[in-house]
Amino acid sequence: MRDEAEQDIEQIARELRVPVAVGRSLDARIMQAVRRLPRHARFGLWSRLVTPRTVTVTPLVWGMLAATVAGFAVLGAMHASADFHRAAKPIASALFPKPKAAASSQRVQFVLVAPDAKKVAVVGDFNGWDASHAAYQAQQRGGGVWSVTAPVPLGHHRYSFVVDDSVWVADPTAPRVTDYDYGMPNSAIVVQEQK
Amino acid sequence: MEAGSSDAVVVARVLRGDVEAFRDLVERYRDRYARYAFHMLGNREDAEEALQDAFVRAYRSLGRCEDPERFGAWLFRILVNRCRTLGARRGRRARTFVVDDTALLGAAEDHPAGTTAWREEIDRALQQLRGDQREAFLLKYVEDMGYDEMSQLTGVGVSALKMRVMRACERLRELLSEVYDA
Repeated sequence: MRDEAEQDIEQIARELRVPVAVGRSLDARIMQAVRRLPRHARFGLWSRLVTPRTVTVTPLVWGMLAATVAGFAVLGAMHASADFHRAAKPIASALFPKPKAAASSQRVQFVLVAPDAKKVAVVGDFNGWDASHAAYQAQQRGGGVWSVTAPVPLGHHRYSFVVDDSVWVADPTAPRVTDYDYGMPNSAIVVQEQK
Repeated sequence: MEAGSSDAVVVARVLRGDVEAFRDLVERYRDRYARYAFHMLGNREDAEEALQDAFVRAYRSLGRCEDPERFGAWLFRILVNRCRTLGARRGRRARTFVVDDTALLGAAEDHPAGTTAWREEIDRALQQLRGDQREAFLLKYVEDMGYDEMSQLTGVGVSALKMRVMRACERLRELLSEVYDA
């Protein structure tokens, strides 16, 4: 009985594994949509400067770097000592100011009034437009108010509410943008580092 | 673009500003993932929309692809989510199921005459499954994924996935029983 069931399912699966062709015009449509988007690395040099990368250094180069840093440190210390009385601030703090703790994201509260909704989620480019993302499920706060506070990376983002897994609703309190690819209502948000 | 470029090489080119290099990724994964989108959404028009949507969103977020060597897996995750969203959005509409014969490559050559009707019955039964069960069945039996892999992809626990697959199998056999018997 069990073997028979497995054979049936395997027969069904075999039929479903047949390749499916899509229209040849799909490639052109995708590329057309992609060309309308901002080009990656638009800022060229700046992008290279801020993109993290792995650097391989030989022991010899390490030694030379260490010697150079030590040399600068000695010179700096001598200079600081000579100008000690008139120095406005230590050279070390001038050269190496304390870095501020930089946050890569901020917690943002999203609020929507939807008295008839059974479920409200926030989707955006910050969560892959995934309406099932656990961190972006709004909770009902009473009076038809739904809200969720969730982390959003610094920068410009597009987002929307998805009500009952089916209806896309732009945030009535935020600037509206047109998602020119698909015509769905989207809102815009700019997340900045808190000062 | 050389034919053997890895995904990571192509992704790096796109990130350096070579938009046209993205076409390589489209050609590489378009057909491979069309089958899943087609079976999840039930017709070619919706499948193409989901694919286009997934590729465009992947391009937008390409800088956030943590492992460019596994771009395909990352893209598939986006596609699975897009199929869920599109499926849910259209779930409330009355769906007219249209069998898209022309979408089946080689079906006429590889299968004897008379199997088209059988294939239509399978497609029809598949579309009658609940979306989560259809998704689990396709990932397991058609895309040939293991439960751990499915769990990572969908964010659903392994036991829940096993239950969905079991229910999907039972329901498919039930729906197709008349065809089996005939």
